[in-house]
Amino acid sequence: MIAMNAMPRKGDSLSRRNFLILLGKGSLAGSALISMGVLVRFISFHSEASPPTLYDLGLETNYPLGSRITVQSVPATIIHDSQGYHAISLVCPHLGCVIKTTSDGFACPCHGSRFGSDGSLRNGPASKSLTFLQVETNAEGHLILYTSE
Amino acid sequence: MRRGLILASLLLFVATGFAVLKQSRSLTPVGNTPSLTGQVEYCLTCHADLPVISQSHPVETFGCVLCHGGEPLALTADLAHSTLRGGGNPSDLTVVEASCGGEKCHNGTPQVNRDHIQRVTTSLQATYAGAIAQVRYAFGAQPDLTAQMGIFAIDGLSAFDPTAEASPAIQSFGMNCLYCHLTAQPLVGDEYSRWSGCSACHSPSPREDGTLVHQLTTSVAYTQCDKCHNRGNYSLLDIKFHPREDAPTDRLHDYYQPIAEFTRCEWTLDCIDCHTRQEAMGDGHIYNNKKEIQYIRCRTCHGTIESLPLTYTITDENDLALRLAFLNPKVDLKVGDTILMTDKGELLWNIRALPGVEGTTPSYELFSKATDQRLTFSPVIGSTCQQKPDQQDARDCHECHATQR
Repeated sequence: MIAMNAMPRKGDSLSRRNFLILLGKGSLAGSALISMGVLVRFISFHSEASPPTLYDLGLETNYPLGSRITVQSVPATIIHDSQGYHAISLVCPHLGCVIKTTSDGFACPCHGSRFGSDGSLRNGPASKSLTFLQVETNAEGHLILYTSE
Repeated sequence: MRRGLILASLLLFVATGFAVLKQSRSLTPVGNTPSLTGQVEYCLTCHADLPVISQSHPVETFGCVLCHGGEPLALTADLAHSTLRGGGNPSDLTVVEASCGGEKCHNGTPQVNRDHIQRVTTSLQATYAGAIAQVRYAFGAQPDLTAQMGIFAIDGLSAFDPTAEASPAIQSFGMNCLYCHLTAQPLVGDEYSRWSGCSACHSPSPREDGTLVHQLTTSVAYTQCDKCHNRGNYSLLDIKFHPREDAPTDRLHDYYQPIAEFTRCEWTLDCIDCHTRQEAMGDGHIYNNKKEIQYIRCRTCHGTIESLPLTYTITDENDLALRLAFLNPKVDLKVGDTILMTDKGELLWNIRALPGVEGTTPSYELFSKATDQRLTFSPVIGSTCQQKPDQQDARDCHECHATQR
């Protein structure tokens, strides 16, 4: 029979007082952990990456003499002629649409500007020719293209 | 004190847990960085299923915010749409300069044919200046039919304010008859439904069930024009709009009101096949009425018994005719082609002279801008027509060529 006025003794499973203290500490620890997680997520957040300005186009042997190969990821057309490698940007100088290649050069699907096979302006609304990009071969024999100066 | 601390700890835990849970349920942003702005925007998070609005405005280049405004980084509809220009219609004339303007877009110079906004905002379609002048003159508020007022003040026109008019008839006109200009909200009903501003003509109308179509086009069908035109009549007797009461079920009867006569080409073709850019969108000048700007006649394409229609041979790859043909590719024009030209020098790029034998009467082919029709036709010269060259109103040609219905 249990005495009605029996006091909890040391060593009893969990007193009400200790439970509340534990609950308080646990809540604080949980909040701290969640806040830490949020803080780490905040600090490690990466905004939208800027478009790259350097592209490894692979082995130069993939671009044989006489070829005109369009690399959509840049976008640019790589020309290999007797003068070496050239890269023509396929971004329209009018408003920035991606240019398409045609049988006799390039054409903008947005507003109808057309360019010769050497990128020279044939008709507007663009007011200047397509831009040539810097391209070079690195030590491993890869073509490296730069989209900015 | 200790109880308070425990309670505060519990509340903090619940609050942080709730915040994290809510954050984890939010949308994963879908970014787009249009090449024209270079600024990321998250509109595609919710709107990825929208079709590209036109070939000339790809989303990769223009994005959404450049034209529509709005908050590019917001992920809730309310916040994202809180600063939209023109609600869902950035072409509304109150915001069109910010949305569609700019010298490289639609508010450049006439020399490079980029003055669309300047032309439209001064056109009769926007100012309604002709109708306002007619009514004010009819009820004695002005001495002649010269346009003095427009729906809004522009280029010498003052703003029409019906409440400032003394005549009750003019006040009624202001109340009952201003539903068709480009800044007006249309009457209720599918047959009147359209957007305001540029989209009144260049975008499909919202449907009664609320369906919207995200599209801009230069291939404007007659049904779009009929959202304002041929819907009925404004009566000066009771100063009210009287809708047409017939219920046309075919193209022949749908095209014009029953009171009108017309020839086959008028109802077979679409309005924009004959009426030019300047007639529809203005030329940047204020006109007193529709007759002053609407100048296409039968002779524009058919000539008279004395002369052939005016023609123009394309000599330059920068020619405007080639650019217009590119935007609505119905005809494969090229340098060296001969097309028809109006009295004012506007190029009818969709009507090409067919190659013929020298010394014989030429013939022409018309490519409909809104459908895939291709019609060939001959000039008056060489026909049995005896029409006098100085009688070229539609009613003159209708005497012989009107369609019975």
